[in-house]
Amino acid sequence: MLDEPYRWVEAIRNRREYLEDQLEGASPVVGVSYADGVLLLTSTPGPRKVFEVYNQVAFAGIGHPADIEKLRKAIIDIAHVEAFNLSASDVSLQRLVAFGLGPLVKAAFDEIFRSPYISRVMVTELDPSDPLETFYTVAADGAFTSSANAAVVSDTADNAEVILQRLRDGDDRDGSLDAALVRALDAWAEGRAHAGREQVEEVEEAGEPVTEQERGAAVRTALDAGRIEVAVLDRTLPTKTKFRLLTEADLEGALAAFR
Amino acid sequence: MESADFLSILKERGLPAPQAFFPPEATVSTGNGVGPAGVHTEGTTILALRYRDGVLVAGDRRATAGNVVVYDRAAKVLTVDDRSVLALSGSPANAYEIARLLEISFQHYRRTQLQELSLDGRLRTLSRLLKDNLPMAMQGIGAVVPIYITHEDSGPQAGGRIYFYDVLGANFETVDFCTTGSGSPIIRGALYFLNRWERPFAERDEAEALRLVLQMLETAAEFDTATGGFKSTAAIYPQVMRVTGDGITDVSDTDLATHYGSLQVGS
Repeated sequence: MLDEPYRWVEAIRNRREYLEDQLEGASPVVGVSYADGVLLLTSTPGPRKVFEVYNQVAFAGIGHPADIEKLRKAIIDIAHVEAFNLSASDVSLQRLVAFGLGPLVKAAFDEIFRSPYISRVMVTELDPSDPLETFYTVAADGAFTSSANAAVVSDTADNAEVILQRLRDGDDRDGSLDAALVRALDAWAEGRAHAGREQVEEVEEAGEPVTEQERGAAVRTALDAGRIEVAVLDRTLPTKTKFRLLTEADLEGALAAFR
Repeated sequence: MESADFLSILKERGLPAPQAFFPPEATVSTGNGVGPAGVHTEGTTILALRYRDGVLVAGDRRATAGNVVVYDRAAKVLTVDDRSVLALSGSPANAYEIARLLEISFQHYRRTQLQELSLDGRLRTLSRLLKDNLPMAMQGIGAVVPIYITHEDSGPQAGGRIYFYDVLGANFETVDFCTTGSGSPIIRGALYFLNRWERPFAERDEAEALRLVLQMLETAAEFDTATGGFKSTAAIYPQVMRVTGDGITDVSDTDLATHYGSLQVGS
């Protein structure tokens, strides 16, 4: 039945809708640059969503936990085989995404009779040769895009735009880790509050700016249901690997106001 | 479940494990430990000893082929991760490849499994690599005899640990010290004597242990042509690393120079 072009296009369209449905309500991942590196922030009810890939590369994903795991394992394998065949300095995010993750996700998306990856991922590299390749986001159809100082993967394009706008307004790429944490959490909460409004469809509020209370409520909801997960790639770390998952104590300063 | 093991991933992808770098049919066994190109560099002195704060690991810098000195700045003590090192005597090509594969395997495990590989798991991985290297060792061109030194933070094996391997991959833990390479027979007895009747190494502080290590390497270099001593004309010092609870640090050339200076007194 899929031998007719029209049917194939229709099947792909259905697949896009299916993915949108599956990803709806997922908590976004926010990535920002700061003075000593990059920071990734999200919330999770339990399973981890932010991971180390290689010395200077980190990964975060939203969607089905099993699919996030599969993609994480795939990119780690590619990075380490690359490091073994060539050298650690030849592991670059641009190549991991353009020749690894992107084609892998697209292949699964195009195969109509197989399940696609129900996931959108963000990967980031500390100090890439081209600053515009600091963040990459990979959509569920394998399309990828890169950016320099901030990035978002979210459940809807609308939420992603709201978060990015918030990050742009408060841009402080040379600020401290604490400032970056507060900024990322604030933008994340903005997106969650915005998404929450859409769910209850309070039309009268549409267009009104999200309030401080709404952002606070979004953070509190996430803390009640699970935790805020944050990791950094910190170039000041003395170890080869620059990845560090922030501890409860590290986060306390930013989260205390919401408890 | 997908394979979590980096060595298996390499094999699945048809990528070379160390023994495949020189396929057996391409080599000629001469039976005298010299490969087809005549390059055979296993003369070395490696020494690891447990002192008060952890383990000191040292290696001379000379690489030889037969009676020719090939290189005088060879690194024979290689860091594997933030808490362990591999000290190598044997064929450098295979030794470096094994150290590299070990480092990447441990990293890969930690990143995919979200936990550190246990000490037993790490020892076993090195055993497997040595076992894979057996055809090379049997032909006399690629034997590798490493010492694995680690400092464990917790668990029943906490503290500084020294394990040595045979060519087949069996590993043994030594308590006080371990020395390998062509210069090792020269100093082994002296080390035993000093530890047994002078003062146990485990009670010595860093400065004392460091001076002992330098004295031993110089003794080995005096009688073994394949071990390089301290070369004052080019300021080439042996490689010495501390493996302690604070991680792995190089003893700097400045520190080594100071200690060498103190050893000259009374000589």
